[in-house]
Amino acid sequence: MKKIVFTLLALSTMLKTAQAQNEAAASPQTAPIALTGGTIHVGTGEVIQNGTVVFDKGKITYVGSGTPTLPAGTQSISVAGKHVYPGLISPSNQLGLVEIASVRATNDQEEVGDYTPNVRALIAYNTDSEVIPTVRGNGILLTQATPVGGVVSGMSSVMQLDGWNWEDAALKKDDGVHVNWPGYFRRGYNFETGSFSIGKNDRREEQFRELDKLFSDAIAYAQTPAASPVNMKLEAMRGLLDGTKNLYVAADYGKEIIEAVRFAKAKGVKKVVIIGGEESLMAADFLKENNIPIIVNTTHRLPNRTDDDTDLPYKLPYLLSQKGLTVGLGYVGLNWRTRNLPFLAGTVGGHGMTAEEALKLVTLNNAKILGIDNVVGSLEKGKHATLIVSAGDILDMRTAKVEQAYIQGKSLNLDDKQKKLYRTFSSKYAK
Amino acid sequence: MKKRLLFWLCLILAGMQAMAQTPTFPTNGVQDERPGRVAFTNATIVTDAQTTLEGATLLIQGGLIEAVGKNVKIPTGTQVIDLKGKRIYPSFVEVYAAYGMPEVKREARMGRGTPQMESKKKGAYGWNQAVLPEVKAAEMFSGNAKEAAELRNIGFGSAVTHSQDGIVRGTSALVALLDAKDQEALLKSNVSAHYSYSKGSSTQDYPNSLMGSVALVRQTYYDAQWYKGLKGRTETNLSLEAFNQNQSLPQVFEVTDKLGVLRTAKIGKEFGVTYIIKGSGDEYQRLPEIKATGLSFILPVTYPTALDVEDPFDASVVSLSDMKHWEMAPANAGLLAKQSIPFSFTTSGLRSKADFMANVRKAIAAGLDEKAALAALTTVPAQLMKIEDMVGSLKPGMLANFLISSESVFSESNTLYENWVKGTRYIVTDMNASDFRGSYDLALGSRSNLKLNITGKADKPTYQIQVDTTKITPKVTRQGDLLTLSFKLNKAEKGENRISAYYDGKNIKGDGFDATGAPLTFLATYKSAPQADRARSDSSRKAAPYEMGKLIFPFAGYGSEEKAKAETILIKNATVWTNEKDGIVPNTDVLLQNGKIAKVGKSLSTPSGAKVIDGTGKHLTTGIFDEHSHIGLYSVNEGTQSVTSEVRMGDVVNSEDVNIYRQLAGGVTSSQLLHGSANCIGGQSAVIKLKWGETPDNLLIPEAQFIKFALGENVKQANWGDAARVRFPQTRMGVEQVMMDAFIRAKAYEKEWKEYNGSSKKASMVAPRRDLELDALVEILNKKRFITCHSYVQSEINMLMKVADSLGFTINTFTHILEGYKVADKMKKHGANGSTFSDWWAYKMEVKDAIPYNAAMLSKVGVNTAINSDDAEMARRLNQEAAKTVLYGGVSEEEAWKMVTLNPAKMMHLDNRLGSIKVGKDADVVLWNNNPLSVYAKPEKTIIEGAIYFDLEKDKVLRKEIDTERNRLIQKLLTAKASGAATQRPAMQRPRHFHCNTLGGLSEEEGHMRFFGQFNCDGSCGF
Repeated sequence: MKKIVFTLLALSTMLKTAQAQNEAAASPQTAPIALTGGTIHVGTGEVIQNGTVVFDKGKITYVGSGTPTLPAGTQSISVAGKHVYPGLISPSNQLGLVEIASVRATNDQEEVGDYTPNVRALIAYNTDSEVIPTVRGNGILLTQATPVGGVVSGMSSVMQLDGWNWEDAALKKDDGVHVNWPGYFRRGYNFETGSFSIGKNDRREEQFRELDKLFSDAIAYAQTPAASPVNMKLEAMRGLLDGTKNLYVAADYGKEIIEAVRFAKAKGVKKVVIIGGEESLMAADFLKENNIPIIVNTTHRLPNRTDDDTDLPYKLPYLLSQKGLTVGLGYVGLNWRTRNLPFLAGTVGGHGMTAEEALKLVTLNNAKILGIDNVVGSLEKGKHATLIVSAGDILDMRTAKVEQAYIQGKSLNLDDKQKKLYRTFSSKYAK
Repeated sequence: MKKRLLFWLCLILAGMQAMAQTPTFPTNGVQDERPGRVAFTNATIVTDAQTTLEGATLLIQGGLIEAVGKNVKIPTGTQVIDLKGKRIYPSFVEVYAAYGMPEVKREARMGRGTPQMESKKKGAYGWNQAVLPEVKAAEMFSGNAKEAAELRNIGFGSAVTHSQDGIVRGTSALVALLDAKDQEALLKSNVSAHYSYSKGSSTQDYPNSLMGSVALVRQTYYDAQWYKGLKGRTETNLSLEAFNQNQSLPQVFEVTDKLGVLRTAKIGKEFGVTYIIKGSGDEYQRLPEIKATGLSFILPVTYPTALDVEDPFDASVVSLSDMKHWEMAPANAGLLAKQSIPFSFTTSGLRSKADFMANVRKAIAAGLDEKAALAALTTVPAQLMKIEDMVGSLKPGMLANFLISSESVFSESNTLYENWVKGTRYIVTDMNASDFRGSYDLALGSRSNLKLNITGKADKPTYQIQVDTTKITPKVTRQGDLLTLSFKLNKAEKGENRISAYYDGKNIKGDGFDATGAPLTFLATYKSAPQADRARSDSSRKAAPYEMGKLIFPFAGYGSEEKAKAETILIKNATVWTNEKDGIVPNTDVLLQNGKIAKVGKSLSTPSGAKVIDGTGKHLTTGIFDEHSHIGLYSVNEGTQSVTSEVRMGDVVNSEDVNIYRQLAGGVTSSQLLHGSANCIGGQSAVIKLKWGETPDNLLIPEAQFIKFALGENVKQANWGDAARVRFPQTRMGVEQVMMDAFIRAKAYEKEWKEYNGSSKKASMVAPRRDLELDALVEILNKKRFITCHSYVQSEINMLMKVADSLGFTINTFTHILEGYKVADKMKKHGANGSTFSDWWAYKMEVKDAIPYNAAMLSKVGVNTAINSDDAEMARRLNQEAAKTVLYGGVSEEEAWKMVTLNPAKMMHLDNRLGSIKVGKDADVVLWNNNPLSVYAKPEKTIIEGAIYFDLEKDKVLRKEIDTERNRLIQKLLTAKASGAATQRPAMQRPRHFHCNTLGGLSEEEGHMRFFGQFNCDGSCGF
């Protein structure tokens, strides 16, 4: 009897646990799907009223106004009055790497060592993170899992927010190496006064020397196609020189941005991306001349200086776009908050930019910068059917309710832990 | 020759005098008492800042002034010094010295080490290591020849010195700046009592915030009052005893900025103390309010070093206020003087004392009257310290402390000859040195066609030999009338000519050797007076008026010359979100008059003089109320004890924080500035309106009496590392015990006072000790103060309601309250409000079950619910955060909007005047360009009590003004650098950011700011 009770208890515990788990990964698309009669935001700036998107075997086969002839067996879904968008892309963040920031055991974003180009974020990317579905529920379908810390943090990968494990979820493995440019300034914190001060970085020269050496060694190493023995750090750098990987350089100040790009060019790095760029306006013309794209960190931050325009962070992506730069937008360095990515773009929309251009910041522009625009970032024939359907404007929280989402045509279950808790406790009060 | 002899004699005499005046000491040798009577005749004597006597005599004896005037009879046996053409001044009085005090040793404090709860000072002293009224500078004083000379050389003769350590610092002593026995130098003990807000070398935890320091000062006054009544019946406390004794002295309070002056004046009012303020030099920035305090000041003449702004990237980190202060700091004293605010100068804070007079001259150049400057160095300090019968002017009976100068002490070309201290002569520059200056014909060996020109200052002349048209500067060393010269007459000469010469009263004669080693004679025959110095004629030119920018309020970017004023404003044809029964009404007019909402309706007529604003296509709402904010504060947490209900955020409001303006730009009009969440019972809130430009007191909504409580991980220090395992509580179990204990104590305390007040024998009883910590808790019990409690998980929420129920009061508000949805029914029953984040979660363990549907659910169950920011950034888009309740949980737009306006006003008990657009309520309204819940919305005008504090159009003008003024100052700084001013590299100071990392390691080097956002968590460090 005791045994039975125990087993029952164990079973019920298991059931409970199961309840708290994420939904199963989605199944592959089995039949063509047509979303008809909706407002289609292509992601290129174009909007199609009363349009249709058709996709099959995970790929988009039609985007346009009216309704084309649908193949037999097509599942036709009316999205009249609703809006269709490409899945949003969230660059340079720790979703899936950090579960609860204050609990060390759940943090996998930063390795030991200041120069670790070899570490790979996708290995730690936890598809079972309870945070992921809450982000997905707001229309973000792609994330760039990115390591942090040190001078050379490691390699990021672009992940789809669906999959049984990291291997399934990866869209582009090891897409680039992340460098924190040795700044002129370093931030200090005074415990006694509780204030941050920004002073000179006295380790700058040493960091710069090490960085220079790492790149010089990588260049020499790359001259041998199959080096033996393998040096994992230098091997990781190889792609920067042959153009298969991006060099992501986090730099905020104009001077540092100019210096970082010139350094990378001098070392023969093919593709450079600036991350952060809080003070990048001062280097905007330089970036334009050198054709360097930039991923701006969150617009939801305070201006750095008292005298700055109060809305400078809100309009920075717009001002940079006006200079002719390719501008992306991200919630750099964060995990759960990335679900607010559409609203970061929306805020830019309220400060100079049109809503469709603001949408590009988190769709096609991010895709171009990460080098995945061949498959995602816009709703175009041949690209992945990685898209969302919302009740209204996705950039405005008043209307941003996401109703359907597809990754490579797979229909996603949009439930999450928070919705479950909502239902559970709603039922408490319904009784 | 005679003169020189006299000079040496005097020097020797002076030295002897200094050593011979302590008769209780044994003499090694023969008795050597001397009369020490000296008369200074034919001098221009400035006896005080107001009085100057020409051709007068000063007679001194035995270190005191015997007589001063035009007809002073000189007794026989008096040494007479003729000062024709020279001036005598009272020597200066330094009132804020640490002269002769031991060095303050500070133990290195580790970031977060093991707590130190009690004072380390042994003996029957007070409980706090920073409260040291028993310290007596007189007992610690021991002269220091080097420092004394430094001060004497710039004109000081005496100093009021004190131990500059701690919050209550004990008493000062008046000392003469003598190189003599301390017994002789020490003039007066217990001159003044000193205070500050800095705990100095105290290693004790409490207080670790500015408001903690203020609370400690207050509590010390009450403790001392209580102790007086106690008459030693139960305890002896030497600190409180000394504190009471010190009250009759001048009370000097050191502050670090202009708002500190206002804060201190308020404390003074509370305890009937008229402080003398040791200021910081930025008082001009709040001049009218500072004038209104009626207090006197001790002002430093420390001015900011010019910033190096050559590099535009570096210059960008320099703030407008820093540049403006660089320009205006020298004008501070003059601006105060024009307002007749009494002040004394101090050398305190100067890196080099030698800069002192130059900086006083800068103040004069920037508008300070010379008489006021002299008074600030002499009579005013003496009067402030009640030592005007000893020093500060030249009157019979006073100390013989005076200066002999060549001209006005403020003149750039003045030479300070002598500084007599207590009748002891100190020579700064030899006034009897011969004046060689002139043009001479020079015969050098067989050459006779040369000239020697001696120009410049008499005591440090410059020498030049002229050979035809070539000018040669010889190397010259001078000892009295003896000169050593070496020079080459032309470049072709292989070696130096060397001459040893002397001045015979008219000509200069000498011998030596030429470059080849052959003997050489030297004869310079005086021909004429030197040609007028070019530098001199320059300085005699009338100085250009000191140019500077305008004063703005507050003194920072986005400040204005004029503060916003209430107007009559008619907003026409807007969509009005009334938050009343009418709901959201289109095409409606709203009239604001006398700071109130006067009318709401269609097609209202325009009162005469009203400003009309077209609201067509726009939305008008009541202003946003942020229930949980930490902006505009100098400090947030006094987290050193589990209960700190005595601290008041109202003491540390920083009205100059630009975040006030930024939030106006986001439509916020009121905020509750809360204590942090580092301890169970935190401090009392400051509830403010964002009246940008006003002083802290004018921001406050005084009737809103709230206090911060906190629960969970922060108060049990769960994320503070292993060193923080000492303070009780460390678990949620302990938190309940802290709460219960605090209120049990409060009840007993209230009873004690009631019994005392109701007793017929009250007069003969010892009054209970007034305890500010318990006062605040008694207010809670009596429903005069209300709790806002930081809370997350359901267990602790429930606990606190049970504690309150058992004691008969209500928890007014649970703030953050992310698991409120789990116990919404209980909260409703208890009558608590909920003020929550829209969508925050997962940043720490206790928020793993937080859900964005929380607000919607609380609201649905019937709990009055608000959305708050807890963050200076989020606060400026609280409209967006409110809109998230539409997204998560389907709240109607009208109800969503109330979550950031009416609902917080209700929970703050201010809905009688705030929270809706209703006739009679405060005219706190915002005109939006769009539906206020939209991500695209932004305020065009933010109005508080009928005054426009933010206007999108004016904002553009302000930005332009900032640019123009910045550029003007940058150009001026560049000019200053080019003309040789010392400069410093700009360093950026980021204002306190009251959200910190969950992971610790804030001080770790990052080399980069990219991860700044990561630290922006709700505050497991206690915010």
